[in-house]
Amino acid sequence: MTKGTRNKRMQNRPSGFANPWFQLGFGVVCVLVYELLQKRGASETANLSQVWSWTGITALVSPLIWLAMALMIVSLLSWLYVLRYIPLSIAFPLSRVVDVLIPLSCWLILGENISSRRWCGIALVVVGLLLTARPVAQLEEKL
Amino acid sequence: MRWPVFFLIPIALIAFVAGQLFLKHAMESSAVRGFRDAQVILFLGCGIFSMTIHFFVTLGLLGHLDLSYVYPFQGLSVIIISLAAAVVLKEKLSLRLTLGALLISAGIMLVSMS
Repeated sequence: MTKGTRNKRMQNRPSGFANPWFQLGFGVVCVLVYELLQKRGASETANLSQVWSWTGITALVSPLIWLAMALMIVSLLSWLYVLRYIPLSIAFPLSRVVDVLIPLSCWLILGENISSRRWCGIALVVVGLLLTARPVAQLEEKL
Repeated sequence: MRWPVFFLIPIALIAFVAGQLFLKHAMESSAVRGFRDAQVILFLGCGIFSMTIHFFVTLGLLGHLDLSYVYPFQGLSVIIISLAAAVVLKEKLSLRLTLGALLISAGIMLVSMS
């Protein structure tokens, strides 16, 4: 893939719901919700079978897991669409805003603890995201 | 911590990184060749297969450990994927992007060690 064709595709990118940056954000929300559903579903079904529980197969009896899988498919399609337009080395780090949102949601919704060290980690991720997002803003200005 | 964690976390990570590279390559090719091209279908299939392995291994881990513990291990995938995208997919990786990816990975590792 040459840089020229990639830039051209980026310039002709759709707007509104089909905008790749919007899809990146939409996908992040889907991932956040399905991760929380996975945790609930997996915890509920972890003790059904001693032998199979580490494989995750026992989690399939939970409806939450099926809902999580549906959201996973939506987020996968959204992600594939994003990959068509945005370089992986920009899109993937930005998509990891999820790694800040997940501990915060676990804290708020699931009642899990966040230690001071974990807060520091969250702060580092935020700085990394800002560093990654700035070239994107400059890229957008040029287009 | 029990033994399956040491074994299953790297498997989930490798499957995830490989899956992302396969999918990106497939989508880049699809923009030029369309979705009926055999190579595009092959790479999409490989990507989805890798992501499926990642999904079930992660489910197994989540059944026994906190989500805020299991998930952040994938933070390592940020720097690995950024470097792999530069090497394998020939994407331009600036110093700023590398530093950003490193900080995100380090931050997620710090979260996972809490």
